[in-house]
Amino acid sequence: MNFTRRAALMTSAAIAANVVDPFRAFAQTTPRKGGVFVVHYGAEQRQLNPSIQASTGVYIVSGKIQEPLVDLDAAGNPVGVLAESWESTPDGKTITFKLRRNVTWHDGKPFTSADVQFTAMEMWKKVLNYGTTLQLFLTAVDTPDAHTAIFRYERPMPLNLLLRALPDLGYITAKHLYENGDVRQNPLNLAPVGTGPFKFVQYERGQHIIADRHDGYWKGPANLDRIVWRVITDRSAAAAQMEAGQLHYSPFSGLTISDMARLAKDRRFIVSTKGNEGNARTNTLEFNFRRRELADIKVRQAIAHAINVPFFIENFLGDFAKLGTGPIPSVSTDFYPGPNTPQYPYDKARAIRLLDEAGLRPGAGGTRLTLRLLPAPWGEDISLWATFIQQSLGEVGIRVEVVRNDGGGFLKSVYADHAFDLATGWHQYRNDPAVSTTVWYRSGQPAGAPWTNQWGWKDDVIDKVIDDAATEVDPVKRKALYAEFVTKANAALPLWMPIEQIFVTTITARARNHSNTPRWGSSSWHDLWLAE
Amino acid sequence: MEIVRAYFRSPAAIVGLFLLLVVIAMAASASWLFPRDPLALAGRPLVWPFTNPRFPLGTDNSGRDIAAQIFYGARISLLIGGVATVIAVLIGIVIGAVSGYYGGWVDNVLMRITEAFQTLPNFLLLLVLIAVFGSNINTVIIAIGIVSWPAPARLTRAEFLSLRNREFVQAGRTLGLKDLKLIFGEILPNALPPVIVYASVVMAVSILLESALAFLRLSDPNVASWGNLIGLGRDVLRVQWYVSAIPGIAILLTVLAVSLVGQGLNDALNPRLKGR
Repeated sequence: MNFTRRAALMTSAAIAANVVDPFRAFAQTTPRKGGVFVVHYGAEQRQLNPSIQASTGVYIVSGKIQEPLVDLDAAGNPVGVLAESWESTPDGKTITFKLRRNVTWHDGKPFTSADVQFTAMEMWKKVLNYGTTLQLFLTAVDTPDAHTAIFRYERPMPLNLLLRALPDLGYITAKHLYENGDVRQNPLNLAPVGTGPFKFVQYERGQHIIADRHDGYWKGPANLDRIVWRVITDRSAAAAQMEAGQLHYSPFSGLTISDMARLAKDRRFIVSTKGNEGNARTNTLEFNFRRRELADIKVRQAIAHAINVPFFIENFLGDFAKLGTGPIPSVSTDFYPGPNTPQYPYDKARAIRLLDEAGLRPGAGGTRLTLRLLPAPWGEDISLWATFIQQSLGEVGIRVEVVRNDGGGFLKSVYADHAFDLATGWHQYRNDPAVSTTVWYRSGQPAGAPWTNQWGWKDDVIDKVIDDAATEVDPVKRKALYAEFVTKANAALPLWMPIEQIFVTTITARARNHSNTPRWGSSSWHDLWLAE
Repeated sequence: MEIVRAYFRSPAAIVGLFLLLVVIAMAASASWLFPRDPLALAGRPLVWPFTNPRFPLGTDNSGRDIAAQIFYGARISLLIGGVATVIAVLIGIVIGAVSGYYGGWVDNVLMRITEAFQTLPNFLLLLVLIAVFGSNINTVIIAIGIVSWPAPARLTRAEFLSLRNREFVQAGRTLGLKDLKLIFGEILPNALPPVIVYASVVMAVSILLESALAFLRLSDPNVASWGNLIGLGRDVLRVQWYVSAIPGIAILLTVLAVSLVGQGLNDALNPRLKGR
């Protein structure tokens, strides 16, 4: 049997398309009440409060328990959750949210504007990753009454930016449970209390998390009785449990590429990128400018030209990925600048010429220089990509030593200690470049902040473009500024983002009302149900 | 010569020696049969064995030639088995000999240290050492050697305890031989045969330890080792099982070979089994 992964992926995509559609027809039937939905939880977090930590590993759990001010609808437009409406003054410095009435916390206390004020000032602005940058110029949140919150900014805050950021960075936490003591040390961070359709029951570390339906939910009770998150770190074991019917859903590409391709051919499962459009990611190659050779643009260009990205995608990642063109992925229709920015197509001869020009002549055994590459330990694609980089650079005389670490070790080595030459991982795009992307390029990031510019590189022009774009209220001008940003960033190449991916969902075909928003895995699942 | 004849009396020992020679031949011929870097991209990933004449054993999920990795992996396995065993046996002999020869408080202190090592499961200790010193192939080999010395130390000590009061030792002492000369010149050669036999066990376990490390993706990813290939193949185990199975068989056969050779040596060297 001549069975290549590529063939498997091709057929899997075709089948996935066929499988998804017939179920649309069933979507009209009456939701079945009850049932337990079991979710694959691959990577445990230190805490579960989404107002304090922005991470899909947190939202997959607490997104059902706590709620944001705003979420995205099926078309990707902001829709109110705890906020009912919003408006901005023309100067962009004052944004007013009208809050939903008759919402209570799971402990029975009412949800009010004081909770919004507390969460915004004490958590988003001070602690939340990405939030601290986003809310840097937030000066105060006024609460004229219990259902109005007025955000005041020192510099203009584009309303669209805020609304696109809030689904991820706009989760509200109860003030009355957090106002005493350090919010980071609060024990409720591992037993979240919220306003959502499910209330927290139990967290057994290394085993499972359980949440039950909250009957007093403001939209009416959810369909499911219970959600269980089972901690399974071994991907192959998770796939086996999916087949045994012990798991219903593995989010965010939690299974191996080969298992996803295999399950896609099984009618009991749906394997698709649908419902993850709001969680696009790019694969990175990060350069450390403290390494003298890498500070030379010619060497970085040579490295990019030496790697045959289309070959890698076609043979290793298949239909789950496509060629990237820079820091803003093509799914971001509002900001994607098109492919006509500086690119680095595969050209081995040119790579060798550039290395020669940079003065790196082949030494003993044809080796020009030796570099340490640190791959992030999450994701099978990262490990394959690291190996491919190693193989490709070996062809042009750059010897690459792959140094593996656990998650904490990787973040510390790269973003705190700067003990790397090359690093590779994921850049997760969160619907607006100012939320998730420009921090990878803007200078002045504190050492130790993960997924930020820790390259020892600074460009005043790019810094200015980033700052201007983040405070530009006119959407058309903002888009133009981000196009300029991508052009300049690709030309300077402090890091390279040559692959775009969208997470893949593997879910039982019995699930209904799933994958119906761009960040469904993170959303509240109040309408999700399981057919017989 | 008699020992050699005794060795070849056992069919299992002959099979073991043959397998071991095959592995050594693979290691020796690797760079001649596969001149390219075994970790380089060779072709499309996940080509099944026997489908493409260029890749008789197929390719793994990184598009690397499995046959080349098996041949080069033989080198790494022999290197790990050999060097780690030498380290473990050397430490073990020195500690065991000193402990058994002197007895008393020296014995007490050294044996308590040995017990401290023995009470820790050696794989856990290995994980700690790798976590602290990093997973470079050299550190992996040294770490395996460090976690494997207690058993040879115990064995050497036991031999020394039974030998230290024999007549030839006392004669040597009467002749005024120094302790060092007595330990390493007189007693050790007599205590050595069981330790050498046991070294084959250490060697087999060392190869398995490295594979276990690699299965957890904690071994050196920059060398072509059988364990690394198994660890990599885990991701495609359900469909492309051969990526893990081929190096698995290689490890099985190598460990079997080393064990059979050890058993054969034991039978040949053990005087009590003579004539059986």
